[in-house]
Amino acid sequence: MSKPEQSEGDRSRDQLLAGEYVLGVLPEADRRKVEARIGKDRAFAAMVANWQENLAGFDTDYEEQAPPSRTYSRIEARLFPARTFQQQLLSAGGWWNSLALWRGLAIASFATLATYASFQSGWIGEAPPSQALVAELSGDNNAALGLMARYDTGSGRLQLMPVAAKADDARSLQLWLVPDGGAAPVSLGILPQTGEGAVDIPADLRPRLRDGVTFAVSLEPFGGSPTGQPTGPVIASGKAQGI
Amino acid sequence: MAPESDIAALVGRVALRDRAAFAELYSQVSPKLFSACLRILKDRGEAEDALQEVFVKIWQRSGRFAAAGNSVMAWLVTIARNHSIDVLRARRPTGESTDEDWQIADPAPGPENAAVMKWEGKRIDRCMEELDSDRAGAVRSAYVEGLTYQELAERHAVPINTMRTWLRRSLLKLRECLDR
Repeated sequence: MSKPEQSEGDRSRDQLLAGEYVLGVLPEADRRKVEARIGKDRAFAAMVANWQENLAGFDTDYEEQAPPSRTYSRIEARLFPARTFQQQLLSAGGWWNSLALWRGLAIASFATLATYASFQSGWIGEAPPSQALVAELSGDNNAALGLMARYDTGSGRLQLMPVAAKADDARSLQLWLVPDGGAAPVSLGILPQTGEGAVDIPADLRPRLRDGVTFAVSLEPFGGSPTGQPTGPVIASGKAQGI
Repeated sequence: MAPESDIAALVGRVALRDRAAFAELYSQVSPKLFSACLRILKDRGEAEDALQEVFVKIWQRSGRFAAAGNSVMAWLVTIARNHSIDVLRARRPTGESTDEDWQIADPAPGPENAAVMKWEGKRIDRCMEELDSDRAGAVRSAYVEGLTYQELAERHAVPINTMRTWLRRSLLKLRECLDR
């Protein structure tokens, strides 16, 4: 007859432990032990759940009290971090930033590493003043598209060729010039929705297209950013580097 | 506050990563949960920090909430209480052991009852009336304020072992009454 008594005693002991856990009187170490047991002992977990439902009657003592108004935005910032424009530029640039822009090379010669090497070793020397700047604007792994940009210093025309364009057509792609040193981006215009696009760079901005600037494309509401600054995700960027 | 069924529906949408539902859930239940954090932590700054953690947990655990038979508000308040009590215990670690003194006579062990308890708000109040008023008060303040045995003993001016016995006897009586 001792066995049923024993199990009865165990049951009472478990009921007590579950009740003490739900009441909250247990020290920290015991709380962790109880939680570990909840995870692997279904009968015990049911006891805890039972106490929680029963003692929830005491929750009426918690009279509603508005938290500070800033709290929700802090929670959102924790759960859904909005990356800054600078952070987006960094992540959108990818490996390509390090060799982002070649001065004096045509697109045709652009791809080979040999050209890059010769370029790095200084064979090419000073670039003629009126040739093209070429940049491939690459995105994150899941970027909506990649872009090839070619800027002709003579005509002041920036030629853009979307690579695998998948842009949402309810939105616009906006091209930005990001000056070196953290100054605010300057809009260079809206890209055409499909196909090869070209943006005429305003004359007053042309002197700023030089070493150290970054090109970036952001996804904006149709027609472009309403604020004059990038508001949407940066889907591609590339840094212009001279030799 | 919206009816429980609406709150449960919001939690269901949060489980589907619906941020608008999350914002709505926050506006509906944050005053209740903030109150729970505040009663336990007794410090507005800490309660605000706790509330942030609580809603992060709600976002993360919403998928685990099974609406079947359980009160969604009890589930939400449990997250707020558990987090606040953990913060409290980490802030003021107590060395008290609970290993001894387990063998307390069960006043009237009820039959094994596997039936799922239906939550009735008034049932606990009725059972609390069967306890001595000071013991009932100790049980309630332990729950509502997250007090330790030591703090309860000081508040009621009794030795800690007496308080432990009070609470454990009270829990067993409550269990017996609630299962009746």
